[in-house]
Amino acid sequence: MTESQPTAIVFDGVSKSFGSKQVLQEVSFSVMQGETVCLLGRSGTGKSVTLKLLIGLLRPDIGKVLIGQDNISSLEGDDLSRLRRKMGFLFQSAALFDSATLEENLALPLRRLTDKSKSEIEHAVLRALAEVGLAADRYKMPGELSGGMKKRAGLARALVLEPEILLVDEPSSGLDRITASEIDDLLLEQKAKRRTTIVIVTHDVHGARRVGDRFAVLDKARLVAFDTLQCLENHESKTVRTLVGGQ
Amino acid sequence: MICTIADGGRLKTFLEFIGVIASFAARVITSAWRSPYEFEQTWMQVGEIGARSLPLVAASGLALGVVMTLHTHSTLVTFGAAAMIPKVQSLSFFIEIGPLVAALLVAGRVGAGIGAVLANLRASEQIDAIEVLSVDSFKFLVVPRVVACVLVLPLLTTFMDLTALLGGFLAEHALSHLSAQLFIERAFNGFAWSNFVPPTLKTTVFGFLIGTVSCYYGYTTDEGAEGVGRAATNSVVLSSLLVIVADVVLVKIIFLFFPGSAL
Amino acid sequence: MRNRNIITGAFVLAGIALFALVIFLVGNQRKTFAKHVEFYTEFANIDGIMKGSKVRVGGFDAGEVTDIQLPDSPAAHFRLTLSVVERVHGLIRPDSLVSVASEGIVGDKLLQIHPGSANLPQAAPNSTLRSKEALEMSELLERSAGLLNDVSGTMKEVSTKLTGTLDAATTTINNANDLVVGIKQGKGAIGVLLRDENTARSVRETLANVQQATASVSDASMRADRLVSDFESRNLGEKVDQTIASAQSAAQNVDASALQLRQSLTSALGPDSHGVDAANNVRQSLSNVNLASSNMVEDTEALKHGFLFRGFFKRRGYYSLANLKADEYRSNRSLPAATNTRAWLDQPELFDNRPDGSEELSPEGKAKIDEAMAEFGDGAFGRAIIVEGYSSTGDTGAQFATSRVRATLVRHYLQARFGLDSRDVGIVPLRGVPPPSTNKKTWDGICLVLLKPRASAR
Ligand SMILES: Nc1ncnc2c1ncn2[C@@H]1O[C@H](COP(=O)(O)OP(=O)(O)OP(=O)(O)O)[C@@H](O)[C@H]1O
Ligand SMILES: [Mg+2]
Repeated sequence: MTESQPTAIVFDGVSKSFGSKQVLQEVSFSVMQGETVCLLGRSGTGKSVTLKLLIGLLRPDIGKVLIGQDNISSLEGDDLSRLRRKMGFLFQSAALFDSATLEENLALPLRRLTDKSKSEIEHAVLRALAEVGLAADRYKMPGELSGGMKKRAGLARALVLEPEILLVDEPSSGLDRITASEIDDLLLEQKAKRRTTIVIVTHDVHGARRVGDRFAVLDKARLVAFDTLQCLENHESKTVRTLVGGQ
Repeated sequence: MICTIADGGRLKTFLEFIGVIASFAARVITSAWRSPYEFEQTWMQVGEIGARSLPLVAASGLALGVVMTLHTHSTLVTFGAAAMIPKVQSLSFFIEIGPLVAALLVAGRVGAGIGAVLANLRASEQIDAIEVLSVDSFKFLVVPRVVACVLVLPLLTTFMDLTALLGGFLAEHALSHLSAQLFIERAFNGFAWSNFVPPTLKTTVFGFLIGTVSCYYGYTTDEGAEGVGRAATNSVVLSSLLVIVADVVLVKIIFLFFPGSAL
Repeated sequence: MRNRNIITGAFVLAGIALFALVIFLVGNQRKTFAKHVEFYTEFANIDGIMKGSKVRVGGFDAGEVTDIQLPDSPAAHFRLTLSVVERVHGLIRPDSLVSVASEGIVGDKLLQIHPGSANLPQAAPNSTLRSKEALEMSELLERSAGLLNDVSGTMKEVSTKLTGTLDAATTTINNANDLVVGIKQGKGAIGVLLRDENTARSVRETLANVQQATASVSDASMRADRLVSDFESRNLGEKVDQTIASAQSAAQNVDASALQLRQSLTSALGPDSHGVDAANNVRQSLSNVNLASSNMVEDTEALKHGFLFRGFFKRRGYYSLANLKADEYRSNRSLPAATNTRAWLDQPELFDNRPDGSEELSPEGKAKIDEAMAEFGDGAFGRAIIVEGYSSTGDTGAQFATSRVRATLVRHYLQARFGLDSRDVGIVPLRGVPPPSTNKKTWDGICLVLLKPRASAR
């Protein structure tokens, strides 16, 4: 958290609206390399939109989104692909390819984006699935999975390429406490082993407190707080205090 | 006044719509030529669009062949021209009915399928997921489908032509015990390549239209689950319409290049 | 997954195979894969032939027109390139003719290469074959109409003269018969009669007339021949051929009968004539000529009325009146129908027996016929009359022969006496049995049937 650490992500004065609905208004923050940021906020405040802006699925109306040195919102085609290759993304809905088995879901990015051999791919897929506890279900179709299993499979797919930046949208929603904390362990391990930069959208305060270095709170289209847990627990806004689990 | 303003607005949206579809089609064409080529996806779509449509196309061809013969039989017999039936059958199917009906059937079955599948992928964020995995979703999803439509339609048309001929033969055989050999001989007597090859190959254009239109509706829909149904319906309506309009133009063009193909 | 790939593979292979199959079937028909030879031909009028039109050699589908060079001036011709399979090359000789034909009445136009003379060598590849220009149908119709008018005019003339002469001859011969009877009774020789200047001149004149007529008929029939071959090359309906053929055969009949007549006359006029025999021969011959020529009039008349013969005959309700067959006549509903006006004439007063056993019309008979015709009234003229001949004595053959003779006699009488057109008077020998619609069990004699007028025939 020293200033010398390079920034991985910069959100610079970003505004985004859908039609007449202003979802984000002049939101600015930056994430250091290897840092884990938890994005909190009430439902519908634009957390998922923020993640999609980060990976270039949405473009800001005003402002810039920098990934490393690159403004992702101005990239297209191959340049965009190259940048995304460093990033892993877990959709809130998991968004597994429902015409393929779990194994194929994970193998697809490996096959297309790396020159690993067939057995290496198989190995990597199996390991990623084992990490989320789905090794036994690798031949199942997404339709045959429960909501929590889908979420874990989606996370496995986001991790299988060993990304430098990991963007996860509610990884522990729909999971029991034990599994949720296993997922948190997994994220902590990523952070420790690979110094992965992680942005987590979550409603699970308990988990967030374990993995998060800093916390961002969105409310009414604005970033109302962006700081460490201690600072936020004593924040002036009651909403913020409640969201981070303080009094 | 109000009316003209409204019409002007409508005309504008109509022109805009044409422009959007045209640029979508142009994007299909340009990205089809750029590597990487999605051979595997294309092959899968050939199976999905082609092989899976075969039962429908073959059954329709057989039934149409029988019906056509029953109709023409009674008419031609009154003119003492029963010997013409195989030729009437083969010419009408190879030149027009086969290509057109095969295309319309595919527009119905596949157009709806593509529209719904892509719209569903879009609604469930799977297209975004593909994008996020650094895969060009357009090349991954749209191009293989359009290419498969283009490749598969001439084949399906050939199947339709021949099953129709078979149906025609069965009906004619039941009516007048015509032998298969004589039927084929009469069916292809005076038959030119230009009666078969250009009309069959023109279905590649139909395939392109069906593929492009249904991919357009499926790929660009942005309305969640309810958009899926609308995308399917719109795909079928517009692709069928375009197939028929294109047929008129293509028939004229083919006639220009192959005067012999006209009846 | 593997299963699906297999299905897809099978689908694609089958599709391509069927596509190839159709191409092969088409190619097979067009003989595309066989070796070809090219020839040229030139036409002033290609009559709708196009690139790709079929070429037949001796009726065999052998190739197609591959190119058409347009003429650059009215004097020049279209130059067509014909590509035909090597296998029929042997049929094509330097004198082979190329003509335009059509496949059926409404079919495509095609080129026909007629096989040439066997004694010439094969035509060299890429040589130019002679062409036979298509005659316009209208032109053809005009020509044939003109010709048929000639024929029919001539025949009518001949027929009238013949009828007159026949009547005269019959009278003469009847006189001769009287004379023969006379001779038998010692009154003189037949030679006397036939050497009588007046009779001889009249017979000779008639003979000259007949000869002249037959000459012009055979000229016409030669022209008809040419027309027929033209028709044949154009594949017109068989009906046309048949009618023209029967016109020809009728013309030949006239020829033959005229020859017979001349011989009969010669022998009758000869120094050692045999009296009655000769006279009967003359009569028989004249009657033959008459029948033959009236048939011919009938046929040529039909031809003149264009190519819709069927229509012509149909509207009239019968085909040839001169050739009515007893069984057809009986079974035809329209001819013996009860609605036709009938005059039943009973034998006893009609025919007398001649000394040689043959019959002739008695004066009373003639009077009865006149009476019947008077009853028919003016309506009888221009309408068809059928003379039904009946005879109920002797065996079937004898009945048939006698009834035919009777009908013939009455027909001659009607023609001579009332100047009825020969094609309006038909005869039919019915032995002793009238048609069922008349409700008569048996008859002996004659029945004149005035046919109900049909919807106007011309
Ligand atoms: N593609 C879109 N088109 C229109 N509106 C959108 C779109 N995506 C999001 N929104 C709107 O933006 C707002 C923020 O949505 P977002 O999905 O970011 O909420 P969220 O903070 O993730 O909520 P939750 O915690 O329930 O997931 C919502 O009101 C939503 O209606
Ligand atoms: Mg969300």
